[in-house]
Amino acid sequence: MSRPELTGHASNFYNEREARKYNSSSRMINVQREITLRAIELLLLPPDEASLVLDIGCGSGLSGEVLEEHGHVWVGCDVSRDMLQVAHERMEKSYKMKGDDDKTEAEIARMKYDDDDDSDDDDNNVCSTGDLMHHDMGTGLPFRPATFDACVSISALQWLCYSNSSAQIPKRRLIRFFSSLYSILKKSARAAVLISECATAVGFGGGIVVDYPNSAKAKKHYLVLSCDRVGGRGQVPGMTAAGAVADQKQSQVQVGKQRQEKDGRKARPIRKKKGVKTKEWIVHKKETQRKKGKEVRPDTKYTARRRPRKF
Amino acid sequence: MRLLTHNTMRNNSKEAKGMGFPFKITAAEVKVIDNPDAGATEERDIDFVKRMLPILEWTALVRAASECGISSLPHTLTTDLAESRPFLQALYHILMNVHLIKGMLTCPVTGREFPVTNGVPNMMLEEDECERVRL
Repeated sequence: MSRPELTGHASNFYNEREARKYNSSSRMINVQREITLRAIELLLLPPDEASLVLDIGCGSGLSGEVLEEHGHVWVGCDVSRDMLQVAHERMEKSYKMKGDDDKTEAEIARMKYDDDDDSDDDDNNVCSTGDLMHHDMGTGLPFRPATFDACVSISALQWLCYSNSSAQIPKRRLIRFFSSLYSILKKSARAAVLISECATAVGFGGGIVVDYPNSAKAKKHYLVLSCDRVGGRGQVPGMTAAGAVADQKQSQVQVGKQRQEKDGRKARPIRKKKGVKTKEWIVHKKETQRKKGKEVRPDTKYTARRRPRKF
Repeated sequence: MRLLTHNTMRNNSKEAKGMGFPFKITAAEVKVIDNPDAGATEERDIDFVKRMLPILEWTALVRAASECGISSLPHTLTTDLAESRPFLQALYHILMNVHLIKGMLTCPVTGREFPVTNGVPNMMLEEDECERVRL
């Protein structure tokens, strides 16, 4: 089976028929729900506060619904108009026919509040905390800097890796996406998105979390990005029932500091002596490697010391 | 589209140079969801507004609200107001319950127009309008 990404633009693939199908497939709903729940867990949002969350590639609002249940306010972007249409209808409808599936405690608490409203007027989406926007993530996100508390993107980012016209260059679109994402998130906000070189290039810290690493079907890669430069909230929350967090690559990119030192460096470039690696050069190189997040041995008195002469 | 969302948005095209906010609203249809028991707003919602206050561009919000036909917002935000509960409740109502259903958003810098239909703004840009990225 070929991947849907290869067939063309996302808005062509998710046409009206496909969007309805997507929204009515209980398997899809369950899968999306589960991934979103895990993504929310990875976001480390304060549980008792409502946060402003950006949902990139919200589709028919399945992930938004989960965010709503957790009491967050969300803004969803999607490139497919038909999917947004379905999401819109869903948001209006979901409050009419609520109260039939399993509910979490948070949901019940919210429902109580919702019911009060419904007794007054029946058919408006007053309680939905979501908002929708028709937008292509590859063109950069249209928001002011430092506005969002968190960002989720559930099975959407893979679309960025394919180009649909000669003007679209995947890497350019990826960088544009990540740099705009970096700017719109608040300090110490987190983004859970389901690609990583471009992300660290623009200054994110974080890594990839793999759930169920041994299963071919259930295996999921989460790219968790955080805006803290020093890694204050650096730990990854709990393991999932059957799988474990197998691979957690921590690479911190210190942006602000790097720049200052870069300026200093420009004034006096460090050249190595012909054929000889001086101590200065080695220490400098180790420092740059460290900043790139690589594992480097600590500087000791033995650093760059010459070996004793052989017999 | 909510006023809260409007307040967070900007035009990210190349020409706007990052200054493309706030959007000027030309409203054709606005839906205000009236909630008679606005007094019953949850503590959580009040907290949410409090946390949103530092992010909001106040002048932009006042203008956007008046463009949608709401002129109850004060022109300047004082610290006393930011503490008062009725004010926060009213602000929550304006941020969350005023929806722009149909209209036009105009970028203040470039004048590019983004149509809003069915409550969903169309923020699609062409590839050559986007910011240049060095590879």
